[in-house]
Amino acid sequence: MATQTLLPIVANLLIPVAILIFATGFFPYKPFMPGLAEYEKLGWEDVMEWREGSVPEAPFDKLVFMVVDALRSDFVYGEESGMEFVQSLVREGTALPFTAHAASPTITMPKVKAITTGSIPSFLDVILNFAESDTTSTLATQDTWLAQLRSKEGGKLVMYGDDTWLKLFPEFFERADGTSSFFVSDFTEVDNNVTRHVPGEMLNSDWSAMIMHYLGLDHIGHKAGPKSPNMIPKQKEMDGIVKDIYSAIANEDHLSNTLFVLCGDHGMNEGGNHGGSAAGETSPALVFMSPKLKDVTQRTKKTSPTKPKEGGGEFEYYRMVEQSDIAPTLAGLLGFPVPRNNLGVFIKEFLDFWPTGADRVRLLLRNARQMKRIVEATYPSVDFRDKSPRSGKECEPPLSDGQDLACKWHGVVDVMSSSNNHIKPEWRIEQLYWFMNAAQEKMSSTASNYDVPRLITGTAIAFVSVILTCLSLPSLRPITPAGVSYALILILYSILMFASSYVEEEHNFWYWAAAGWFFYLFIAESRKEWRSKFIFHPAIMLLVTHRVIRRWNQTGQKYAGADDIVHSGIFHGSNSFILWALVGATYMDIAVRLSKHVARSIAVLDKGSNSEDNEAVDANRFMGLVAVLPLGATAFVFKLAFTARDAPELTYGINQGLIRWVEDLSLVDVVRMVFLGTALSAVWITISEWKRRKNRRGEGSGDLALALFDLLTLFLVTQTKAQNIPLYLLFRFQLFFLSLLDLSPTAITTTSILLTQTSFFALGNSNAISSIDLSNAYNGVSGYNVLAVGLLLFLSNWAGPLYFTAASSLLLSSLTRPRRNIAIQEVDSRDWIQKEREHLEKMALSEEEGRKRRESGEAWQRHVALCTLWTGVATGSVMVACTVLRTHLFIWTVFSPKYLFAMAWGIAFHFGGTLGLGSVVWRAGRW
Amino acid sequence: MTTVITSSTKPPPPSHPIDVLNNDTARLYTHIHPVLVLSLYAFQFKAIVADPIPALTRTLIPLSILQIAYVAICLPPTGDTATAVPTTEKRKPGDKKKAEKGKLEREVGAKIIPAFLSLIIASAAAIPLLTTILILFGAPLTTHHAHTMLAAAHIAFLATLPLVYVHGVDGATWREIVALLKPVDEVYGGMIGTVVGAWLGAIPIPLDWDRAWQKWPVTIVTGAYAGWAVGKLLGGTLLKGRKIVFE
Repeated sequence: MATQTLLPIVANLLIPVAILIFATGFFPYKPFMPGLAEYEKLGWEDVMEWREGSVPEAPFDKLVFMVVDALRSDFVYGEESGMEFVQSLVREGTALPFTAHAASPTITMPKVKAITTGSIPSFLDVILNFAESDTTSTLATQDTWLAQLRSKEGGKLVMYGDDTWLKLFPEFFERADGTSSFFVSDFTEVDNNVTRHVPGEMLNSDWSAMIMHYLGLDHIGHKAGPKSPNMIPKQKEMDGIVKDIYSAIANEDHLSNTLFVLCGDHGMNEGGNHGGSAAGETSPALVFMSPKLKDVTQRTKKTSPTKPKEGGGEFEYYRMVEQSDIAPTLAGLLGFPVPRNNLGVFIKEFLDFWPTGADRVRLLLRNARQMKRIVEATYPSVDFRDKSPRSGKECEPPLSDGQDLACKWHGVVDVMSSSNNHIKPEWRIEQLYWFMNAAQEKMSSTASNYDVPRLITGTAIAFVSVILTCLSLPSLRPITPAGVSYALILILYSILMFASSYVEEEHNFWYWAAAGWFFYLFIAESRKEWRSKFIFHPAIMLLVTHRVIRRWNQTGQKYAGADDIVHSGIFHGSNSFILWALVGATYMDIAVRLSKHVARSIAVLDKGSNSEDNEAVDANRFMGLVAVLPLGATAFVFKLAFTARDAPELTYGINQGLIRWVEDLSLVDVVRMVFLGTALSAVWITISEWKRRKNRRGEGSGDLALALFDLLTLFLVTQTKAQNIPLYLLFRFQLFFLSLLDLSPTAITTTSILLTQTSFFALGNSNAISSIDLSNAYNGVSGYNVLAVGLLLFLSNWAGPLYFTAASSLLLSSLTRPRRNIAIQEVDSRDWIQKEREHLEKMALSEEEGRKRRESGEAWQRHVALCTLWTGVATGSVMVACTVLRTHLFIWTVFSPKYLFAMAWGIAFHFGGTLGLGSVVWRAGRW
Repeated sequence: MTTVITSSTKPPPPSHPIDVLNNDTARLYTHIHPVLVLSLYAFQFKAIVADPIPALTRTLIPLSILQIAYVAICLPPTGDTATAVPTTEKRKPGDKKKAEKGKLEREVGAKIIPAFLSLIIASAAAIPLLTTILILFGAPLTTHHAHTMLAAAHIAFLATLPLVYVHGVDGATWREIVALLKPVDEVYGGMIGTVVGAWLGAIPIPLDWDRAWQKWPVTIVTGAYAGWAVGKLLGGTLLKGRKIVFE
C-alpha cells in the first residue's frame, strides 16, 4: 500500500508549490531602475534655443509636506468640512485644490511609496506592508523626491509623524520623531507628538523639506467612521496647524519660497476603513499652498466650500489628478530631476509659473523623456527612437499598447523637430501631455505584467494535486448525503469564485450552506429517532447558535456598516459590563475545564504510580481550580488592560479604579506570562498524562487531547479582540451540540469545513485587505520580529478556523461526547430498567465505535484526504478565476486580495491547522 | 405542531402516495393549476418588486383561492383516501339551498370546508414556524418583519395548505413528513420543492447586479414558487411513489 501513503503526501506537497509558482507569476517582482535621476540631454537645442543641461528656474526652494492620514477630499472641500482656513485660501487663490486618485491598495505604506516615487506600487507591497522591516520594501535605494532633495546642496530633511516614513527612509532625516499607529483609540497623543515640533521647526532655516504625517484622523475613522462627532474637531485642529504653518510661510523671510502641500495618503469608506477601491477610499485631498500661487491662479477663480464635480464620482472635487503626479510636480516646482521610476505627469496648472513657452516645453519634455525610459523598458520590442513617424507604419491600426505609445512618442518627436515658425508651444505641450497621459494610463494598468505560463503551471499543479487526492480517497461508495453535500460545497464554491461579488460576500455562501447543512442534520436525525422536544433538538440548537454567530460581526462590502451585535451598543459605553460578563464567562468556562485536567494530574501525583486510574477526588478538583485560576485571571486582566487602551469605549461600564490599575500594567509582560503559563500547563499535563498512560498500560483515554484543546482555546481567546471573545462560548455550544449528534466521519469533515469557514467570517474577517486585524499581532512582542508578528497575525485572524479544526479532531475521535467509560460486557441484566439498559448499551456501542475509530486511524486519513481535496479545489478555483479574469476591472481590488487569503488558507491554515494542529490533537486523542 | 408524543416504538403504518382524485376535472386541473399560480405570480411580480408588502399581501388572496380550489377539486381530503364521504351533516345554519345537488357539486361543497380549515391551520401554525425558520436561515432579524412574514405566508400557502388538507394534523404523520419519510407524491414533492426553492432563492441576493428584484424577500418567494411548481410536477409524475433515501 505504498501508493496509498505516498499519494496524499505528494498531493499535499504540491499545494504550496502550486501556490508559490502561481504567486510569482501573479505578483511579479517589479524591477525598479536604481540610482538617482540626473538632468540629461534633452535634444532639440537648436530648435528650442535652450542651453544644454540648463534648467528652468524653480519657483520654490523649500517644502512643507503635510500628510493627514485618510484625509478624504470632502473633509477639506465639502460643505460640512471643518477646514475653513484652507477653504479661505482656495477662495483667495493662494491654494490650488485637487482630488488625488489613490490607486488600490489604499494602505499607508504603498501610498507613501506612490507619493514619493511617483510609481504605482505593486500588489506585493501589501504583503510587505505587513512585514515592514523587509529590506526590499525600503526606499533607501530608490529614487524619490526625498532622495533628490537630500542630494541637493544643503539638503536636509526633517520628519514628524507616522513611523512608516522612518522605516521607508532609514537615516534620511536630520531630525525625526516617529509615532506609531498601534492603538487606534489614540486620537490626540499621536497628533500632539507631531504638532509640538512645528513652532520650533518654523524658526529653523536649515531644512529644505519638512514632512509631517498625522494619524489621528485615520484613527477616528477606524474607530467611529467618517461621521464620528470627533471628525469635525479633528479637521479644525488640522486646519489650525495649516494656518500656523501658512502664516509662518507668509511672514518669515527664510520661508518665503516655501511650498506647502497638504494631502491625504488615501481616503476612507463609509465604515471608516480603507484598503480597497471604493470611491471614498481612493479620493484623498491634495492642496498646494503658497502666497506665490496667486501668480498661477489669476485666471481661474475657485469657489470653496463646494460640491463634488457634476458627472464625476461622489468624492471628486475640483480636478482629479493621479497621486503619482505629486512627484514630478514637486520636481518641477522645487527644481530637481524627476525621480526615475515616476509614472506621474506634471500638473499643468503650475505651468504658468514659467512665462516662456520654451521653459514649459523643456519642463514637460524632461518628464516625458523620463517616462519614455520606463515605457521603453516595458516594451523592449517596440521602437521608441527619436525619429519621425512619417517613415514607419506604427500608427496604423490595429495597435498593441506598446505600438500605440510609440506612435504617440513619435508624434512628440514630430512636433519637437518642427521649426518654431510652424508650431506654437501650446501644440507641443498638448502633444507631450497626450503622450504622458497615455503612458501613465497604460503603465498603471499594466503595473503588473502577468507571467501567464507560470499562472498556468501553478494552476496545473493544483489540479494534479486534486487528482492525486481523488485517487488516494479510499472509496467513494456508498454515496452518502454527507459526501454529496461535501461535493456540492466544492462545486458551488469553485463556481462562485468567478463572481466578484461572491468573493466580497463569501461569508454569505458559508452562512447559507451551513444553515442548510444543520437543517439537513435535523431531518436526518429525525428519521432515526424523533425527539419529543424537537425545538431543542441539537441540530436546531446548532442552527440557532449559528444565527447568533452570523449576526455577531457584519462583514463584506455590500452591507458594510449594517447592524450587528458588536456595534449594536449592547457592548458599548455603560453597557460594556454585559460584554465583560460574557468574556468572564468564557474565561471561567475554560478555567473550569482546565482545572479538571490539572486535578487529574494532581491525582496522578497523589496516588503514585501503582494506584488505580481513577477520576480526581473533590480535593484534587479544588486544588486544580486554585492552580488554574491565576492563569485564567492573568489572561482576563490582559484582555481588560489591552481593551482599555485599544478600545476604551468598551470598558466604560467597568469600575474605573480597576481600569486605571490595569492601564498601568505592562501589556507585553502580562501577555508573556499568559503564553508562558499556557505552555507550562501543556508540558505539565502532558507529563502527567504520560504517567497515567504508563499505569494504564497502553489503553488510550484521550484526556490529553481534551486538555490540549482547552489550552489551545485559552491561547486563541488571548489572540482575539475582546468583543469577539463571547463567540468562543457559542463555538463551545456548537461543539457540544455536534457531539450530541451521531455524525459519520464524512459528515464531521463536512461540518468541519463549514465551521472553519463560518467562524473565520464570523470573527469579522472578509476577503478584503482592510479587514485584517493587526491589533493582536504584537502580543508579547517588544521589538520588531517579522516571524513572531507574522505568526501572531495569522493566529489572531484564523483563530476561529484553528479552533474548529482542532475541534473536528476531537469529534472524529469521539471524545467530546458525555462519557461513562463503560465496557459493553459490564452492561448486564442487573440494569433492570429496560430503557436505561438500552441507553447504556447504545452509549457503550458508540464508545466502542469511537475507540475503534481512534485505533484504526482510517477516519483520520479520510478526513485529511477530504481536507486536502477541499484545499486543492479551493485554491485551484481561485487560481483559475485569477487567470481567466486577469484583465477584469476588479482584479486588483477583489481577486488579488482573495488570492492572498487563498495563500494563507492553502499554506498556513492547511499545513499549520488541519495537518499540524489537527493531527496533534488526533494523536493525543489516541493516547 | 405543538402536539408532542414521546417516540413510540411501534413501526409507523405504511403510507401510500396521495393520488389525484379519480375524475377528469381533477386530472386536468392539477396540471392547469401550477400554470395559473405561476401566471398569478408573474403578473404580480413587478408590483412585488416595486413595493413588496402591499403586493405580497394582495397576492395572498388569489393564491389562497387558487390553492383552495386546487385541493378541493384535485385532492382527497384527510381521512378518506378512496371513497369521498359526503359530510352533509355539517350544514351551516344559513345554508338553505342544499336540497338537490349533483354528486360532484356535493362533493366539492363538502371539500370547501376542510380546504378552508387547512388554510386557517396553515396560516395559524405554519406562518409563525416558517417565519422563525426563515430568520434562523438568515432573514433580517431586526427589520423587514412584515416582509419575512409574508414570505412565510406564501410558502405556507404553497406547501403546507395542501399537506394539511390531505394529511390532517396528526402528530405522527407530521413527524414523518418533516423527517421526509413519506413516499413522494405531488403534494409532498411540492412542499419539498418549495422549501428547497426558497433556500436556493437566497443565492442571487449578495450579487452586485444592483437589480431591484434582489431585495428581500423577492428572490426567496420567487424560488419558492418555482421550486413548488417543479417539485409538484416531478412528485406527481416521475418520482411518484418513491421513498426518499438518505443512507
